[in-house]
Amino acid sequence: MARPATEELRRRNRSALLDQLHRRGPQTRAELTEALGLNRSTIGALATDLSESGHIQETTGRSTGAAGRPSTLVECVPEAETVAAVEVRADRVRLALVGLGGTLLARAEVPLEPGADGPEAAELAARLLADTPAAETVAAVPGLVDAGVVAQSTELGWVDRDFRTDLERATGRSWRVADLATAAAVGERSRGDAHRSPNLLYLHGGRGVTAGMIADGRPRRGSSIMLGHVVVNPGGQKCRCGLHGCLEAEMGTFEQSATIEATTTAAWMGDTAAREVVHRSGGLLGRALGSVVTAATPDEVLFGGWLRELYLSSAAAVRSSLAEATLPQLRARLRLRTPALGSEGPLIGAAETGFEALIGEMR
Amino acid sequence: MLLELSRISKSFGPVEVLSEVYLAVDAGEVCALVGDNGAGKSTLVKCIAGIHDINSGTIAVDGAPREIHDPRDAAALGIEVVYQDLALCDNLDVVENLFLGREKLHGVVLDDDAMEQLAAETLDSLAVRTLRDLRQNVASLSGGQRQTVAIAKAVLWNSRLVILDEPTAALGVAQTRQVLELIRRLADQGLAVLFISHNLNDVFAVADRIAALYLGRMAGVVNAADATQSQVVELITSGRSGAVGLPDPNGVQS
Repeated sequence: MARPATEELRRRNRSALLDQLHRRGPQTRAELTEALGLNRSTIGALATDLSESGHIQETTGRSTGAAGRPSTLVECVPEAETVAAVEVRADRVRLALVGLGGTLLARAEVPLEPGADGPEAAELAARLLADTPAAETVAAVPGLVDAGVVAQSTELGWVDRDFRTDLERATGRSWRVADLATAAAVGERSRGDAHRSPNLLYLHGGRGVTAGMIADGRPRRGSSIMLGHVVVNPGGQKCRCGLHGCLEAEMGTFEQSATIEATTTAAWMGDTAAREVVHRSGGLLGRALGSVVTAATPDEVLFGGWLRELYLSSAAAVRSSLAEATLPQLRARLRLRTPALGSEGPLIGAAETGFEALIGEMR
Repeated sequence: MLLELSRISKSFGPVEVLSEVYLAVDAGEVCALVGDNGAGKSTLVKCIAGIHDINSGTIAVDGAPREIHDPRDAAALGIEVVYQDLALCDNLDVVENLFLGREKLHGVVLDDDAMEQLAAETLDSLAVRTLRDLRQNVASLSGGQRQTVAIAKAVLWNSRLVILDEPTAALGVAQTRQVLELIRRLADQGLAVLFISHNLNDVFAVADRIAALYLGRMAGVVNAADATQSQVVELITSGRSGAVGLPDPNGVQS
């Protein structure tokens, strides 16, 4: 390989420096030198360059408690580059405008009519977005998403919907469409507590149940895992997807997404019927999860959406059936957790996807 | 192992409450201590905390045997206990409670700003978003918020082992969830947590290992990932489950 030309090298280093600041937050020049393995004077030149272009600024910040002049901190200017993330759910469309460094600059939300189709949802997204000056726009949609097309979404009732085209028609911008669970997994790994898990599984509970996977630190290519359509009871209840005995159908996911709070509260207060529902749902979730853990061998599983409430109320049932459905070697180091970012995970993760592309393009 | 108990025995007069109990808790893990009423859970905690002297056995911290005769010894070893009644002062605010008895001084006056900043940082590191105003009196807080303050107080002092005695017993369902997530986060940040609970759901939600006491003896310690609910119930109620458990669960000793 030929040595990259000086200008190209400079661009790469610029992008690496910005990436480091975006991911890890404000740092001193010394810390940057250490982290990037570049020469001190190179870092200095890059920092001057990036502050002239308005991407970063240097502040007198953190005092270390030691004597002497406090060291200057280099930090991102949030407004320099922004990404708009849109989350489409059964009953609402949410928007977050995120600045460089992960700062939330603005947010908005509008209700979505039940049963709305792609163009209607795209129209609402366009209205939320209006004339926001975002460099990248990313949409997170629950379901099976492939190259901008929503192949199947129990939550929205869409089948083979070319949502990217819908969005591009409505807004006149170019879009990335990610599946919501994978976006949330990206969010939890980059901004949540899951940074230690190179193989991360995020379970999303909405009107349907999907799962997003990070494998070896990268979002799994393609789309989400259709956890809700793992058959847990062959020949059981008919599911909306056409199969029989899917996890979604057996748990009654569609109803539970709205009633989980009431059900778990009733179970906690001692209502035997509610206890039975919570215990049974937890057991079924553990069994379906067992198949996925066996196939995908994650290090960590996060229970997102209403599955957080279900897991914390039925952990004994979930873990018992998971223990009965997986090999000891696979579950020994498996961490079961709830997401640190809560319901913000999908939006934050979608924005991170946009930033990764944005910073990548500067290279 | 951060804390290792071996062959701990404790009697009150003729009544033997703990008999040759063993238990180990490592940094970064939640160990749940379960058992029926009167199994000796609280007594074991009080032995570790230095409230009761043990009759025999050893308590080792970082592999070195230690004598713990009063709560100050325990605190010096980095062991903090959050009791059921929380021991918070209702007439003081959140920051004052966190620093009670260990106030930061600036010369001869209290350094309120530094204390407030440190309190905010601690709560922030635990991802506590339920406390808006650190200057409100503890009396005005909900049960879950009070529990959060009590746990944060234990964490603030460079503690390494936090012992929680039934922290969710008096809480509602939403508050229980927050406290469970907080307990898990403590361990994920590198602390050792010993978690006493009656509720097996709570235990399975956060524990890495489950230790079951039965009539003052350790019936068994199982990995939460390998255990099932019925197995743990058997250990609690009969001291035995399959191959795990006491050889003579009826309490007769040879």
